[in-house]
Amino acid sequence: MIAQLILATFTGLLLLGIHRKVIARIQRRPGPPVWQEILHMLKFSFKSTWIPATASTVLFGGVVLVAIGIWTAAFFVLLTGGSLLVIFGIYMLHKIVEHGFGLSSGSPYGKFGGVRSVISAASEIPLFVSVAAIAIFTRSFDISDIVAYQAVHGPLMFIAFPAAVAMYIVILSKMPFGPFSIVESKELVSGYKTEHFGVWRAGLEVCNGLKTTVLLATFLMVFVGQLPILWLAAGMLLLVVSLSFACALTPMLSPFDSVTVQTLVTGLMLCYGAVLIAGVMA
Amino acid sequence: MKRRSAARIAAVSASAGITAGIVNMLGILPLWLYAAVLVLSFPVFIIGLYLWWMAKEGKEDIPFIGY
Repeated sequence: MIAQLILATFTGLLLLGIHRKVIARIQRRPGPPVWQEILHMLKFSFKSTWIPATASTVLFGGVVLVAIGIWTAAFFVLLTGGSLLVIFGIYMLHKIVEHGFGLSSGSPYGKFGGVRSVISAASEIPLFVSVAAIAIFTRSFDISDIVAYQAVHGPLMFIAFPAAVAMYIVILSKMPFGPFSIVESKELVSGYKTEHFGVWRAGLEVCNGLKTTVLLATFLMVFVGQLPILWLAAGMLLLVVSLSFACALTPMLSPFDSVTVQTLVTGLMLCYGAVLIAGVMA
Repeated sequence: MKRRSAARIAAVSASAGITAGIVNMLGILPLWLYAAVLVLSFPVFIIGLYLWWMAKEGKEDIPFIGY
């Protein structure tokens, strides 16, 4: 399990590196090498590290442990075919973690990043409607049951297409350099992670690697079904490349526009959920 | 944090995770308890390992507050 965790971390970081490379090539820049994010993690782990004088000592370091811990738990749930609700509960916890990162440092840039993380919580509501739509079809929240359902009825991507689109947008909102990446936009230096340098940033990179792997693999398992490991890797790569296109071709939205678009998606998903429920009732 | 303390923390957390894995494979430890041990020990191991590499024992800096 520890080996799988480390492999998942490196896979996620490699995918994030590919994400940066694809964005750069679309924008006609050479871009960094695809292993740049892995190098980042290693580089930060060898930087001098301390806790800023104005930071909350416990929260500043503790939030990094929480960040890695929650995505370790999500990875475990995914591997054991546990409940989708736990994974999405963890996704919500990540918002609180981002907020903790921002507030713990004492830097105004970090604080603004943390505040933006909270106002972009609207991005989570389509996720719940998406999960509810899946449960209407599969009658279960367990990933193992959802996978078993798809083995009989075919991929949920075709059966519940709007739910797949909503979850895709949720994943897009978590990708760096995307239209919804307001928590780490450049006017805030690095947003909520501005003051987390050295070992703390390296820990955050581990969290990002795990998070990327878990979110992409969850999407594929929930909407495509159980895949052999090579097909899963190919699917994750394809998903990342498509997300990179979306990120490269869309400017970063202002915070209010970002929330407005996410709220509109939520509204559409609620309509879809209402139609599904009406169908079940009838 | 002293580097020696960081090394000890990394070693203890790694031992906890590996021991829990072995005990789980032997069927003594239930899966949920193994997961709980891993969720707690993996982050501590990562940060402990990194701090062992690069922990500074100097004075703190003030945060970046603008150009």
